[in-house]
Amino acid sequence: MIRLVTRMLGSLALALGLAAPLVAVAAEELNLFAWSEYVPQSVLDGFTKETGIQVNYESYASNEEMLAKLMSGAANYDLIQPSEYVIEALVKENQLLPIDHAKLPNLKNIGKEYWDQPHDPELKYSVPYMQGTVGIVLNTKKVKDPVTGFGDMFQPKYKGRIVILDDSLEIVTWGLATQGIGPDGVTKESLVKVRPVLTTWLPLVKVYDSDSPKTPLLNGDVDLGVVWSGEAAILIKEQPGNFAYVLPKEGAHMFIDNLAIPKGAAHVEAAHKFINYILRPEVSRKISEEFPYTNPNLEARKLLTPEELANGASYPKGNPKLSTFRDIGPLAADVDKLVTDLKAKSGP
Amino acid sequence: MRQETTPSSASGGSQRQPGRIGWLLLSPLIAWSVAFVVAPAVIMLVYSFAHRGTLGGVILGFTLENYAGVLDPVYMQIVVRSIGYATITTLLCLAMGYPVAYLIGRSDEKLRNALLMTVMIPFWTSFLIRTYAWVTILKSQGLLNSLALQLQMISEPLEMLYTPGAVVLGLVYTFLPFMILPIYSSVEKLDGALVEAALDLGAGPLRAFSRVIVPLTAPGIAAGVLLVFVPSLGIYAVNDIMGGGRVDMIGNIIENQFKGNARNWPFGAALGTTLLVSFALIYWLVNRRQRAETGAPGAPAIRGGLS
Amino acid sequence: MKLVTRLLGVWMGFILLFFYLPIAVLVLFSFNQSKLNIVWTGFTFEWYSSLWHDTVLVRALQNSLIVAVFTTAISLVLGTAGAWLLHRYRYRAASVLETLAFLPMIVPEVILGVSLLILFVTIGVQLGYTTIVISHVTFCFPFVMASVQARLAGLDPALEEAALDLGATPLQAFTKVLVPYLMPAIVSGGLMSFTLSLDELIVTYFTASAGTRTLPLEIFGRVKKGLDPSLNAISTVFIVVTVVALVITEVVRRRNP
Repeated sequence: MIRLVTRMLGSLALALGLAAPLVAVAAEELNLFAWSEYVPQSVLDGFTKETGIQVNYESYASNEEMLAKLMSGAANYDLIQPSEYVIEALVKENQLLPIDHAKLPNLKNIGKEYWDQPHDPELKYSVPYMQGTVGIVLNTKKVKDPVTGFGDMFQPKYKGRIVILDDSLEIVTWGLATQGIGPDGVTKESLVKVRPVLTTWLPLVKVYDSDSPKTPLLNGDVDLGVVWSGEAAILIKEQPGNFAYVLPKEGAHMFIDNLAIPKGAAHVEAAHKFINYILRPEVSRKISEEFPYTNPNLEARKLLTPEELANGASYPKGNPKLSTFRDIGPLAADVDKLVTDLKAKSGP
Repeated sequence: MRQETTPSSASGGSQRQPGRIGWLLLSPLIAWSVAFVVAPAVIMLVYSFAHRGTLGGVILGFTLENYAGVLDPVYMQIVVRSIGYATITTLLCLAMGYPVAYLIGRSDEKLRNALLMTVMIPFWTSFLIRTYAWVTILKSQGLLNSLALQLQMISEPLEMLYTPGAVVLGLVYTFLPFMILPIYSSVEKLDGALVEAALDLGAGPLRAFSRVIVPLTAPGIAAGVLLVFVPSLGIYAVNDIMGGGRVDMIGNIIENQFKGNARNWPFGAALGTTLLVSFALIYWLVNRRQRAETGAPGAPAIRGGLS
Repeated sequence: MKLVTRLLGVWMGFILLFFYLPIAVLVLFSFNQSKLNIVWTGFTFEWYSSLWHDTVLVRALQNSLIVAVFTTAISLVLGTAGAWLLHRYRYRAASVLETLAFLPMIVPEVILGVSLLILFVTIGVQLGYTTIVISHVTFCFPFVMASVQARLAGLDPALEEAALDLGATPLQAFTKVLVPYLMPAIVSGGLMSFTLSLDELIVTYFTASAGTRTLPLEIFGRVKKGLDPSLNAISTVFIVVTVVALVITEVVRRRNP
């Protein structure tokens, strides 16, 4: 009994001792809520060193996860990192603070094409962080026939050799693309139209994976996939010559992840300082190094190595048909139900 | 020798009326339950009648459309599938885990805790890494296939991963310890003399097992079944990885409503409430019946001075 | 009987093989050269040395352990007390109370996480160790309670009565007769509780803060980028430390019976 109590007191002391350094008494703080592993530690350390502002980095693995914690009224975050269609919804619901361009002299580094997107045409509420696409990746050693789009890919000959993202909205837009409908054309009618298309596609899929679709591709369990460009870029980096990235000719999703300041932010100054810091070419370049997505910062692109720029997934060649996602409101539930149903019917 | 048993003497008649002390001692538990179990359940219930918010979250109100959604055949097929997998998992865990629990329980006192720890240590590693290790073992270029090909047992790699079998394997792997542990503590208190007596009186080992050992360890078995079946209904990650995302279960659907594109919290809450109410009802009814019969939950049919 | 014991032993060996096979792979791959950790490319110790600098990961492990220890301690108290009180006294609301206690097991983790977060925000509690431990205890203590209850069923009340007759106070009867009797169930429940808390993800996501990230949060966060072998390395280190502690305890125990 006494031993038990002593041991408990001991662990309590140990716990407090261990906890002490975590209760950092910072001069100023910045509460960053971003995608996991999307902001390199070296960037955070550099920022703290220069400004003395301590960055508290909490992370999430999906936009909806971020929204779930945000909408539950949780901690006051100063910066969040939503994708473009989430920005649109947040703006509609007045959940974002406007960004003061006067405080962001480095904002001019962002390429012109990012200034005119439907979700935030004048970058009033968001600043592009990284851009990417969703496209087709092929194991060139196994796939000999040409694959230029979804139509070429979802063929019976590839049955059981395909991995796709486990994202109902993505899947539906791919189907719509083959019908000539863009991501802004998601309606109840178009969902009816896309159902037979997906009914033929989904039984061909072996794996659904949004987190790490590169795994089954590297394992050789699948030979083709519709994945994030960053995943494809990692595959190409890892085994150059074995993998190729193709933007589907029917149309591809261009996603833009952005930094934005939520309504309840307490450290708006610090948030602006951080954004401006990220926009520096040398800093932005470090992010590209770790995450081979497409860097919207043109000055940073000038600092990239030839290999990085040659990576077909990070910087796709040609002039493909790219569109961003729109906020589809309540239809999201119908989209989810459609894919759930077809998945269940086509699965084991 | 079996004593006469009556409902009120189930624990030998020492079940008392709780006085003030009885209620006082129980109050922390009640307070905890009310604060952290009842309150969240109420929140879930309120949400299940609300309207879907644009950014997730809810718009408070009253609608039954979420519950109508629960009954939709699209989701019903997944509910049925989940119950099926949970049942198979529980039965397999019981069959595979009972012998292990029995061995540990009948082991030397010095050995027991060490054996228990040995059983649990694998599960103190990260679930994700463990499960990906299984992927490495089962994939077409993985360890098992490579070995089997080397030994010329097969000529082509077997497709073991991304199948229902892989899902069951993952589930059994995750839940087996939670069947072994409760059964172990029931086995441990078995009086060896009883088993010997049964055997001496001419019962074969099988009969001794089914007529004496199983009933005496029934509470442990019941606890094990509860602790495996119920949580396995909410599973989402194991089946996602082992089944290649093709084996959606209730857990995945509910997760989707909060963490996926659907952003339909009220529907997720309705599904959750349905699960909760179904479980609560069944558990409460079984519990009440057991208490009426024997005065204590999970007490075996053979009663009396056996402890 | 000897044959039966032998057969059981063989079966146990098979089950242990089953349990440790992925662990063996996990340990092996902690020496994998490839950062992506999906295919074996070569042998290296670099991931172990990287742990020295990976303060984030080590701190996450510390946090997980702290939370698990506190969770287990509180769950043991609540679970054992609850089981015993419900056994001892005839509460009219017994069935209701028990059902209530077991509810967290059936509530899906994401819902539990969201609703606990809303609760904490409404009350105004800051997210951190306290909120994580509270949420862990809530779904862990039913496991302890179930375990202890199973052991209490069939308890010969004569034991306790005898102790009281022989002059023990009710407290002494509890600590010197009942608790030792319940020990296997307490150990059982404690082990389950510790295991569940260590690897808990979703509820923790909702109730943790930036400074109190646990190991599962860190590991799951790294999936997209790639689960590099340093994660295997830290898991291996943890297993090795645990096994060594176990061996030492056994050796010490055998020296002092």
